Amino acid sequence: MKKTLVFAAVSVLVSVFSFMSCKKDDNNTVAEPGLDRAPMLTNYADNYIIPAYAAMVKDLKALKAKTDAFVANPDAATLSELKSSFEAAYITWQKTDVLEFGPAEDVSLRMYMNTYPVTITKVNGNITNGGYDLEQFGNKDAQGFPAVDYLLNGNANTIELFTTDAQSAARKQYLLAVVNKMLQKTEGVSNTWVSYRNTFVAATGTDVNGGLSKMVNAYVLYFERYLRSGKVGLPVGAMTGVAKPELTEAYYTPQLSNVLSQYAMAAAIAFYEGKSYDGTGSGASMKTYLASIGTKDDNGTAMADLIVSKLKQAETRLKALNTPIKDAVISKRPEVLTIYDDMQQCVPLLKVDMVSAFGISITYTDNDGD
Amino acid sequence: MNHPSLRISFQAYIRKPIYSASLAVFRIVFGLMIFGSTVRFWLKGWIDELYIKPQYFFHYYGFEWVKPIGQYTYALFALCGISALMFALGLWYRIAAILLFLSFTYIELMDKTNYLNHYYFVSLVLFLMIWLPANSNISMDAKRKPALLNRFVPLWTVGSIRLMMGILYVYAGLAKLNSDWLLEAMPLRLWLPAQNDTPVIGALFNHVWIAYAFSWFGAIYDLTIPFFLINRKTRPYAYLAVIVFHVLTSILFPIGMFPYVMIVSALVFFDSTDADRLLMRIKQILHSLPIAISDNVYTFARLREKGVLWMLSGFFLLQILLPWRYLLYKGELFWTEEGYRFSWRVMLMEKMGYAQFVVKDGVTGERIAVNNNEFLTKNQEKMMATQSDFILQYAQILKQHYEKNGVQHPEVYATVYVGLNGRRSRLYTDTSVNLANEKDGLKHKTWLMPFSDKIYGL
Repeated sequence: MKKTLVFAAVSVLVSVFSFMSCKKDDNNTVAEPGLDRAPMLTNYADNYIIPAYAAMVKDLKALKAKTDAFVANPDAATLSELKSSFEAAYITWQKTDVLEFGPAEDVSLRMYMNTYPVTITKVNGNITNGGYDLEQFGNKDAQGFPAVDYLLNGNANTIELFTTDAQSAARKQYLLAVVNKMLQKTEGVSNTWVSYRNTFVAATGTDVNGGLSKMVNAYVLYFERYLRSGKVGLPVGAMTGVAKPELTEAYYTPQLSNVLSQYAMAAAIAFYEGKSYDGTGSGASMKTYLASIGTKDDNGTAMADLIVSKLKQAETRLKALNTPIKDAVISKRPEVLTIYDDMQQCVPLLKVDMVSAFGISITYTDNDGD
Repeated sequence: MNHPSLRISFQAYIRKPIYSASLAVFRIVFGLMIFGSTVRFWLKGWIDELYIKPQYFFHYYGFEWVKPIGQYTYALFALCGISALMFALGLWYRIAAILLFLSFTYIELMDKTNYLNHYYFVSLVLFLMIWLPANSNISMDAKRKPALLNRFVPLWTVGSIRLMMGILYVYAGLAKLNSDWLLEAMPLRLWLPAQNDTPVIGALFNHVWIAYAFSWFGAIYDLTIPFFLINRKTRPYAYLAVIVFHVLTSILFPIGMFPYVMIVSALVFFDSTDADRLLMRIKQILHSLPIAISDNVYTFARLREKGVLWMLSGFFLLQILLPWRYLLYKGELFWTEEGYRFSWRVMLMEKMGYAQFVVKDGVTGERIAVNNNEFLTKNQEKMMATQSDFILQYAQILKQHYEKNGVQHPEVYATVYVGLNGRRSRLYTDTSVNLANEKDGLKHKTWLMPFSDKIYGL
């Protein structure tokens, strides 16, 4: 028995040292600082998330000011200013939408901000009947950016609707209510992040409560469901074969749809790469963490880099589309389907390869496994 | 064993009397542990989450008739917990053992999403325990009928549990003898860095050589530990290793009760004299406890013993053969998972999948993109996305659902990507195959895409 024990001990040692020596060129033999999750979470919280919500609040305050001005004096000039502040805020939202976890998830921020398509009958019903409660789940598709888009751009005679129309007063009130709701919700999330920040950064575990798990789950879900499907897949009918242009984001401002999806795609890349919100700096990120884990594809390309190149390929193709998405899904169907395919290629890379390498859980059940 | 004297010596060996205390103590700790884990399961709200809330359940092939029973599932767990207590107390032991085996196994069969090797192990041990006279010492039954008290039982009774443990460990070790585990240190190489915030030892997990050391140690541990446990001289060290090994795994991985099941079960390897000495000491303090002191040996009726021994021979032959059934399938076991379960393959793979389904109307050609969350829980979806038999059952669920909702001759197509042990994810299924037409069965699933790499070894 002693012999067996000695044999076991020796074989363990021999194997360990032989692997250490033959893997010398592998930089993984030294402790990998890139595997430290706290700096990554800190970078995301301080350099992207908190500034993103601050920017969103700022833009929504501007939107509110322009709405007040327009409501007080609806004319071509105030409307035009309102529209540009609407577009600016909608663009900022594309950089914030990816953050639906923690405080944002707790209040279902996305649902209040950007449920589309907007249901016109609900919007008009609320205006006509009054007594609406925008907090209610049933009103999620009657508010947010899509409702503002409809109110400002859904009709050729916007100024009339806000001046001489029988419902003009109620309509003004509704527009104000919608904008106020957006500001109130976002401010809430922005304020909560100030205290949540430390919780998030301290949750370095990889279980379901870990900061990384929450953030990555939100990121992957966002990319698949809201970026790929929401902005391209559903309007073009990638899986059903039937185009539904009415499902396009910013449907009443067709040229804006493309801009929004381009910003969203760029934000998805920047976020993966750990860029700061203003784009000037970068820090520890999902990409650097994945690079430190060091998974590679069959050709030896680091998965961390492969994901960037696939995301950028989709971005390039998206930028090349010069027809509004709602028209392109019919007139340039093959081109839009190619964009979808490029995005789709990224989904398994993010959802399977990255999540798997991170060793984080994508299930919300804290169940045993083996 | 053809030689007559050898056969006699083997027959004599397995009938050698050993202290029944060993079997009785095992009964108590094993029963209490099942009771504890049933309570834990209940308190964590998992009965509702895993067996009541889901709309659909994944059945085992041949056990389609085992279905969750709604709110009565609580009664089933109550039955399981109560019979586990009766089992531990040795109260109406045979009935308790049968009820416990049946209720526990029924629970496990309700949804294979929740398959765990240690549940399977518990079911197997409970099946063995039905046939063993584990109430012949320190039991309520013996309190009522002191004639049941026997200080000795035949060796094969305790021996069969030891053999079951031995099979588990050795096969778990054999399963690790593959190139991913030994040469790539996969999946520990991915899992350990994820635990690098563990206090004290966490920083070690950033070193890849630690993953290699753990992999090799784990394989050697599994392959040798039963032998070190059975040997009197090495036993104390081996049991210490059992505790350290399993406690470490319980800290690092979300494997629930498994480490404790193993730590407790390994007690069965200790000398029955130790268990008897323990009971004698207890008897000195608590005189009224039904503990056997006179040297009676439990004797089976001759025919019954013969019957049980033949049955157990068949049982163990099956246990030894079952893990090899994967050899009958073509393709990489880790990829297809055909023959993967019930083989003591524990923590061997980091496998993750992504599955999208489209249902097509066979008449109009209209297509519907399926949202998996409408049908499956997160946990079920995760399991489904990497295992071929789940994918097929899910396709059948979709077919029936859409047929009921007016889709004519629904066709079901799946696009599934699977990543295995750090390899880049690859297409798992043939996207052109209408899965609505495929039948579930034990045959190789031809609509699986071949594995693009090679894993060497067992």
